[in-house]
Amino acid sequence: MAQISDPKIAFAYLRPACVLLTREPSATNVETLSGQLKDVNDATLQQLQEYVLFPLRFVLKVPGPKKDKLVQAVAEAISHVLENTCVQSWETLHDLLSELCLCLCSPTDPGKPADLSEELKLAVLRCLDALIHAAYGDIVFRLFEPIMLPGLGAAISLLLALGEKEKSRDIQAAALKCLQALTLQCDCTQEHVVPSSEERRAIGSTMASFLPGITLAVARIITGDLRQGHAVTVRAIKVWSRAVGLVMEDAQLQASEPWKTPSPDLGRIAQLVIHRTQDWVKSTAGKLSVLLKKIVSCTSAHQHWRVRLEMVELADHLLARCSKSLGECVGLLLEALVGAVNDEEPRVKERCEVALREVSWRNQSHSSSGDITSERSSTQNFTDVLSENLHSLATSLPRLMRTSDDQKKLFVLNGFLGYLKLLGPLVSVVLNSAAHLERISKALMQVLELDVMDVCIVEERSYRSTIETSSASPDSYTAHTQRKHFLYFTDEKILAVLMEICRTLGYYGNIYLLTDHFLDLYRQSSAYRKQAAMVLNEVVRGAAGNVVASESHGLEGEGCGRSATKEDLKAAVVSVMEEYTSLNNWHLITVSEETDRDRQDQQLLSPPRLLSISSCDVSTVNENSLQVISSSFGSLSPSSSTSTIHQLNSNIWQLCIQLEGIACFSQALGRDFRPLLMTSLYPVLEKAGEETLLVSQAALGSMWDISKACGYLSLKELINDNSDYLLNDISINLQRLSEHPQAPRVLTVMLTHSDCSLLPLVGDIVQDVLMALDLSYDHTAALFCSVLHALMKALARWFPSSCNRTRESAGPKQTSTDQEVLNIREFLLDYRKQKELAEGIGIEDDNTEDLEVPPPTECEDVEDIGGPDVKAELPSHLSITKDVMERCIHLLSNPSLRLRLRVLDVLELCVCILSEKENELLPMAHRCWPALLQRLTADDPLAVLRAFRVLCTLGETCGDFLRRRVSKEVLPKLSASLARQAPISAKAGPVYTHTVAYKLQLAVLQGLGSLCQWLDLGEADLDAVCEACLPYLSCRQPIRLQEACLSVFRHLIQVDPDALWFTLNELHCPSSYIPPHPDLQPVRLNGMGRPRDEYSDNVLKLLREESGSGVATVNQPVS
Amino acid sequence: MSRPAPSPIYTLRGAGGPLNTLHFSCHGKDTPLLFSGSGKGVIHIWNLNSRRAEKIVEGHSGSSVIWVSTLQSTDALISQGRDMQVCLWDLREGRSEVVDTVWTGSVGFSQCSLLETSHGNYLLAFAGQQTEEVRHGYIKIIELPSKTPVCTLVPDTKLGMVMCIRLWQPDFGAGPLLLAGYEDGSLLLWDVTQRSKLSHAKAHPEPVMCLTFDTKRLRGISGSSEKKLSSWKVDRQNNLQLQDCVKLVNPGVSQLCIRDDSKLLASAGWDHRVRLFGWKKLRPLAVLQYHTDMVQSVAFSDHQDPRQRLLAAGSKDQRISLWSIYNEGADTG
Repeated sequence: MAQISDPKIAFAYLRPACVLLTREPSATNVETLSGQLKDVNDATLQQLQEYVLFPLRFVLKVPGPKKDKLVQAVAEAISHVLENTCVQSWETLHDLLSELCLCLCSPTDPGKPADLSEELKLAVLRCLDALIHAAYGDIVFRLFEPIMLPGLGAAISLLLALGEKEKSRDIQAAALKCLQALTLQCDCTQEHVVPSSEERRAIGSTMASFLPGITLAVARIITGDLRQGHAVTVRAIKVWSRAVGLVMEDAQLQASEPWKTPSPDLGRIAQLVIHRTQDWVKSTAGKLSVLLKKIVSCTSAHQHWRVRLEMVELADHLLARCSKSLGECVGLLLEALVGAVNDEEPRVKERCEVALREVSWRNQSHSSSGDITSERSSTQNFTDVLSENLHSLATSLPRLMRTSDDQKKLFVLNGFLGYLKLLGPLVSVVLNSAAHLERISKALMQVLELDVMDVCIVEERSYRSTIETSSASPDSYTAHTQRKHFLYFTDEKILAVLMEICRTLGYYGNIYLLTDHFLDLYRQSSAYRKQAAMVLNEVVRGAAGNVVASESHGLEGEGCGRSATKEDLKAAVVSVMEEYTSLNNWHLITVSEETDRDRQDQQLLSPPRLLSISSCDVSTVNENSLQVISSSFGSLSPSSSTSTIHQLNSNIWQLCIQLEGIACFSQALGRDFRPLLMTSLYPVLEKAGEETLLVSQAALGSMWDISKACGYLSLKELINDNSDYLLNDISINLQRLSEHPQAPRVLTVMLTHSDCSLLPLVGDIVQDVLMALDLSYDHTAALFCSVLHALMKALARWFPSSCNRTRESAGPKQTSTDQEVLNIREFLLDYRKQKELAEGIGIEDDNTEDLEVPPPTECEDVEDIGGPDVKAELPSHLSITKDVMERCIHLLSNPSLRLRLRVLDVLELCVCILSEKENELLPMAHRCWPALLQRLTADDPLAVLRAFRVLCTLGETCGDFLRRRVSKEVLPKLSASLARQAPISAKAGPVYTHTVAYKLQLAVLQGLGSLCQWLDLGEADLDAVCEACLPYLSCRQPIRLQEACLSVFRHLIQVDPDALWFTLNELHCPSSYIPPHPDLQPVRLNGMGRPRDEYSDNVLKLLREESGSGVATVNQPVS
Repeated sequence: MSRPAPSPIYTLRGAGGPLNTLHFSCHGKDTPLLFSGSGKGVIHIWNLNSRRAEKIVEGHSGSSVIWVSTLQSTDALISQGRDMQVCLWDLREGRSEVVDTVWTGSVGFSQCSLLETSHGNYLLAFAGQQTEEVRHGYIKIIELPSKTPVCTLVPDTKLGMVMCIRLWQPDFGAGPLLLAGYEDGSLLLWDVTQRSKLSHAKAHPEPVMCLTFDTKRLRGISGSSEKKLSSWKVDRQNNLQLQDCVKLVNPGVSQLCIRDDSKLLASAGWDHRVRLFGWKKLRPLAVLQYHTDMVQSVAFSDHQDPRQRLLAAGSKDQRISLWSIYNEGADTG
């Protein structure tokens, strides 16, 4: 429906309702009128404003009690009119204001709100708001003339009372908004009157009278009930900041206010007028700072981000306008700002950063125009305030860290960080003050104290983790890293802030000063060592600038940037790293003395290898080097036997932190770190080979970081490219094994992570290793054995030999023999031929055939050798393997079982690798046979187990070379032990499967079949094996033994199907064989007609499998 | 008080052959370099900062390189190989090309000796060609870079092959002098300008394997395949006077080297060890043990800062070890 735009028509349209309302003030009449008002357009309504308002105001003016409903309707109608029109006359404004206020206040006490319905109050407040917004610019300022003071005061106190006491949040918020509008500080979306500076001063002057009231009451609202909802708090903060900003504005106060003596006609009102003198400003600021302190403490850690955002706004607003007049509060305001600079809510953070940038910009622009002394002093002041705050915060930091909860800690630390960021380049000036640096560093040292009571850290071992994780991606390392536990906090966010504080210090501070200072702390006491290292790591990271810069580009944009150059950074890194990797700080004990392995290491240390400066005085040197070792270890743990878990943990963490540090440094320097790899890579690898899981993981993670930072694509590349540096250290340290027992470990790590391109370089190191081993078998064997194992493992990986290939090809070969159809005629022909041969017939023919056989193998040899007369040099991996195998022979009889087991593993790998050159393998096999035989026949079951595995591998690679020895020396014992154990395992319970005896049985049964096949054993031996294994076909045996036994028989069947068929049928024969011709003898087998027994199932299974190929075809040709 | 046995500060590996000769070049402002010549005819130029071979040049067609040195004024490298050639190399601006060669005609082990006479001019002494009739060696001296022959020094008695040569310019007297060790263990002092033998001393019963000479004290020392070093002096009348001997534990010395400050003597032993002696009294100071085969060459670096000075040892085990030894009190004495 179109609105009425003609004033005359509108007048005629509205008139009846107006008249009716005047005559009879009732809610329905008001509603009729307000309904009609909506049909009139704004311009027309403006013309009829006075006319329309009259009946409505009349209703309000009628004395006597009125119904709430009626007043509410009237207020709504007036609101509608005011929202759509302007108030042009001062009288209307003034009268309406007082009339509306009257509606709200109680009739008895005009200062207090009446007990009215909430809807009514809301309506009236809305109406008031509309009124102020509707007031014309030229009349609205008359509100702030001195004469208006009482009326204004009443309105303000009324609104404050509503804002504070009301229960409804809406009313509270509306009242506060109204108050804001009343001081012409409204921030809603409507158009507002913009006061000139002169007018502003007038308003400010008037409002000064009410400032105490407003600030007190609003502060009460802000700090009041926490549950009142953020909207009210936000609004209240807004009112507070606007009110203070208006009255205390520097611009107003600076232009000296002309003091007009209040005109005499004001009378008592004149007493209310306030003259903003210097003294007044000062005392007011003092009072305000008290309030501000309360407000800040109450809101800066408020849970709702809007409140915190509003606090930032407040601080920004006041700092921008009143930083001079509110001198006392500047510190507080900055603190509030700074505290929010790392707010978790990005909007707060952003706003805060903008605010801080403005602050520091203002600060710097002041200092640049520093010819005015006052300006300069204010800047000075500002910096002073900041560093003062920083200092006091640092002083109280340790206490706060111990006493307050995590949230409070986070806030405090955020504040701390904020100060640093705000100070920017000035941080280095602040740090130059010894007192500041001391405070800050002590605080950090205390806060970052680690909790080292976790037991499992020490317990975790990683004997093989390096090998297993070698192919894993770098992420897996970071995922594994153990979280640090701190004594004084648990929240991860706190650590993040602390680390950023360190980075910021490094970014702005003097890197030399910082590293020197923290290195001093590091050296000073073991209590500070870990913390100092953590701080150093982050300081260097920060100094590199790649972390801080991305976050706070705005803050230091104008100022001079970071202080450290690349060269400085490098020098600092070198000195820190030197300290980290120095003997005392790097070779920490991480394994408790009780563990077996460590005792061996210890044993290794005690009689150091003799290395004399001149060949004569060996003994003295020996003593001396002993002293060196004991002192180096003594300094870190007074007596190693008493080193508690606590200490070990602490050591582990220290190493981890230092390893992280090296990674940090590489990231800080990027490719410039490459030259430093010369000294740093070796120590890191040393730790990567450590047994303590946490340390080795940290080291691996650090290796990944380093390789990324230095531009290497993988660990392999990192190691290969720097293998010369590593091998250099290894080779030197191998000769000083007593001082550097870690050298073999480094080699192990290298081998694990590298590839065959390393071999040429490693070659001579291996010779070193072997020589070092030769020189002292007793003491170093354990240590070197792990190296040899790693070496052989690596070689086996780099040169996958035929050993593995034949294993793979074993499958297909098997099936081919199965499928081969045995033709009995050919068999018989062949049999006859053999028989004739044996009798001497046709020897001449066959001789030539025999002679033809050897040449091909000779040809092969010639090809292999490559030259006719020179024996080709063995590929280096084979010659290394040979050398290692040689040592294994000696080590096989070492008294330590552990070592023997390890050697057997190495031996197996050696055999695998050598298998590609039979010429080399067979002599070696021959040489190691006696020692191996000892292990197989007269050793601990564990050793027998491993030795048998080696035997299987040997059988696989050497084949019939070993046949005679095995059948003579090994098989009898094995079969005997199998036979002996069979009744035991048949009766044993489920626990038996956990015993060594069971494992041995299983291993022997699993390997025996293929061994027999490879060795091509004779009939007698097969019978013996068969005999020994038959008991295991019993269904009373553990199921896995049965399976293993079945596998033995499957292999045996391939060697000699007929004999096995017979043997099995002797045991149990499922069917009777009727001869196809009556002339033939009937088949008699022992197993025939036997009832089902314990062997039946397995025998039947085997026969069924065999009949698929063998049994059926044998019978066929006969018929 | 004896300290724990020192270890090399680092080693250089990857030479790929036994190392016959070493030469430092660390006086410049640029990176310190070490030149090494290997038994496989390869010259490695090692950067001592990165500890890696900066450049590898091959120029003696696979024959063993037995001597390398640098011409300081022109920054050129000079190398002698058993292919009977002495090559001059231009290494500036990344080049590595032979600019000149001298044919020596000698397949022996005798290393050349170089002496700068004036700026840019050098004398080069080398053992001469062996022929069927002249079984004992003679020494040829030529001028570089002109390659004009200066003289040929032939001993009047049969002393066998020339084993080692040392050319030096005495502080007084006119011409340069030359010390030569021969196969029969004799030492001869020659006057190059007069082409005459000045003195003769029988220092060893075995061939003289190496000699070194301290031009300041006019004192020298020579080694042989036996268990001793013998020292000698050149007096004012240019007479060779044998002085005391030093007994060794194991026989055989490949090379001897005196440090620039005349305080330290190093020997490269066939027993895989480098021995250090105080040069003044020939007191044994230290045995450096690292190598696993004969040490064939030792050299002291020419660092300007005495504290940075290094000792390098090159061995048949294809490694070079670098030691920082007796440098602490270097500046105080």
